[in-house]
Amino acid sequence: MKKLIVLVLALAMSLSIFSVQADTTTKTPSICIVVAGTLGDRSFYDSANEGIEKLAADFGTETNVIECKEDGSLYENALFEAAERYDIIAAVGWQFFDALADENGVLAAYPDKKFLFIDNALDAIPANLMCITYAQNEGSFLAGYVAASLSKTGAVGVVGGENAATINDFIVGYEAGAKYINPNAVVKRQYANTYEDPAKGKECALALYNDGCDVVFAVAGKTGEGVFEAAKEADKLAVGVDGDQKYIDPDRIICSMVKRVGQSIYDVVANPDTFFKGGEVWNADMETGYIDVVYGTEDMPQQVSDALKDEVETIKAKIISGDIIVPTAFATEE
Amino acid sequence: MDWSSVFNAGTLMNTFNTATIVILAGLGCLMTEQAGMMNIGIDGMMTVGAFVAAVASWAFNSWVIGLLCAVLAGLLTGLFYGVMVVRYHSDEFIIGVAFNIFAVALTTFLLRTVLSQSGSFHPASGTVQNLPYLSFGKIGGSDINISLMVPLSWLLVVIAQVFIYKTPAGFWLHASGEHPESLRSVGRNPEKMKYIGSVICGVLCGLSGAYLSIGYLSTFTEGMSAERGYVAVACVIFGRSNPVRVFLAALLFGFIDAAGMRMQGVIPPTLTATFPYVGTILMMVLLALRNQAKKRGKRV
Repeated sequence: MKKLIVLVLALAMSLSIFSVQADTTTKTPSICIVVAGTLGDRSFYDSANEGIEKLAADFGTETNVIECKEDGSLYENALFEAAERYDIIAAVGWQFFDALADENGVLAAYPDKKFLFIDNALDAIPANLMCITYAQNEGSFLAGYVAASLSKTGAVGVVGGENAATINDFIVGYEAGAKYINPNAVVKRQYANTYEDPAKGKECALALYNDGCDVVFAVAGKTGEGVFEAAKEADKLAVGVDGDQKYIDPDRIICSMVKRVGQSIYDVVANPDTFFKGGEVWNADMETGYIDVVYGTEDMPQQVSDALKDEVETIKAKIISGDIIVPTAFATEE
Repeated sequence: MDWSSVFNAGTLMNTFNTATIVILAGLGCLMTEQAGMMNIGIDGMMTVGAFVAAVASWAFNSWVIGLLCAVLAGLLTGLFYGVMVVRYHSDEFIIGVAFNIFAVALTTFLLRTVLSQSGSFHPASGTVQNLPYLSFGKIGGSDINISLMVPLSWLLVVIAQVFIYKTPAGFWLHASGEHPESLRSVGRNPEKMKYIGSVICGVLCGLSGAYLSIGYLSTFTEGMSAERGYVAVACVIFGRSNPVRVFLAALLFGFIDAAGMRMQGVIPPTLTATFPYVGTILMMVLLALRNQAKKRGKRV
């Protein structure tokens, strides 16, 4: 009798091991995002985080976030830390270029793991890395178009995180869009030189409003929060970035240029067969819907008229069809 | 280059508004400096003040309570510094550095665990109540809005100046740092004065943090003091712990920052961002030269 009980128990235990194993095989691979700054920007990094939160909700994926707090010395270590414990590692932020380009770095050390480089591309991409860049210049073109349409002074501004190619890509697109509707439009720019200091962002935006701009585009992560504070104080208009930020101040944020970072990460992890292409650059653009301009929800006050929204749609179609070529801050390879 | 876009009413407003953060922290720092303690932990005290002000202002839906709680938190941080340095004779420099790191970590921890928010404080319901703004109409095409804290900080500069140079307590504070034995010989306790100095420092840094989070902005973000405390320390050294001079140094800093930012059109932005720090170094060199000239003058 005793032996029988032992047998049954042993059987039950071994079966339970099988059941656990069965569980893990159906799960999607685990993912860790390594962000260059900190979460809570309600913009770029939070968008990436929403992507993996959605993965966790839909598939029970094991996820984690490592924040580098804009400390360049942490970038490489954080990537190693993530690669040690997770299957897919997404480096979120163009700042990871040097850490990933290192020949003896994390990519060489973990050839079997899958890496994503969000928002920038290496010159030579190994087979275990996929780079995702975004056509932010196309979306910013529309943002510039809307901003210049609503501007009464003919001057619009932009607050950039720093003078770097990815940020300038937004700015040249924005400038081209503003000049497309109003060839005499003046586009003024301010660089905050930080993505983590809203007080600095407010100073920059106030300087622009003070200088005659009546719409300011925030392209500076958490620093951009200060732009919205400035818009409130000066009672002027602003344009959000990366996420749909209109809810932050529906009366003054006219639209947001969205860059669906989270969605792109989600798609790669959820459908690795169709999306993950090692050694390649995926330019997520307007055609595929990863770049767009949005106006919040319908119950929010709309500063952009329906007629203007239709114009934006027309221009969007022209950009997709290639009738309008939006300039870029990146050196174009032919 | 169009100078009117660099020097206008807006530049001045920007200077006043941002300098206030440094003025309040600098006033705090000079109180400990007067008592012979070099407090570089003011950056951390500001961070704690900013956090407490934002959370209390939201929780009680009142900026008055937010401000009071920031003052109370400042009092505690000042007391902590005093206990460490006066009672336990720890190295004031190391305590300061440790406190700066601790403050960022503590506020980040509380924000993430207690309030379940990462990076910045954006409550789902309710709002962070701001300090009131005083409006002065339009000057030169730009609205003149000044936070209540701006004139208050100027008033505090005057009070601090009178306190340090015109009241016995001010002399005792100075003596507790300069020559504690002589203070003891007249029956005063130098340790007590040092405690008072650190507590006033904490309170003023709490106010500075509160101005940053619920005055200038209306949110708390991790590490939001962004090393402004160190700028305040530099102002205290440059102003030789004299409240009015520290005030002027802070205004100069604010002005260099505001004007530099507006020159980005002609000067590369990465360079304009260094202006306040280049300014610091120049000020320190000036100070050293002046001190040397004084010494020579005495010898002759």
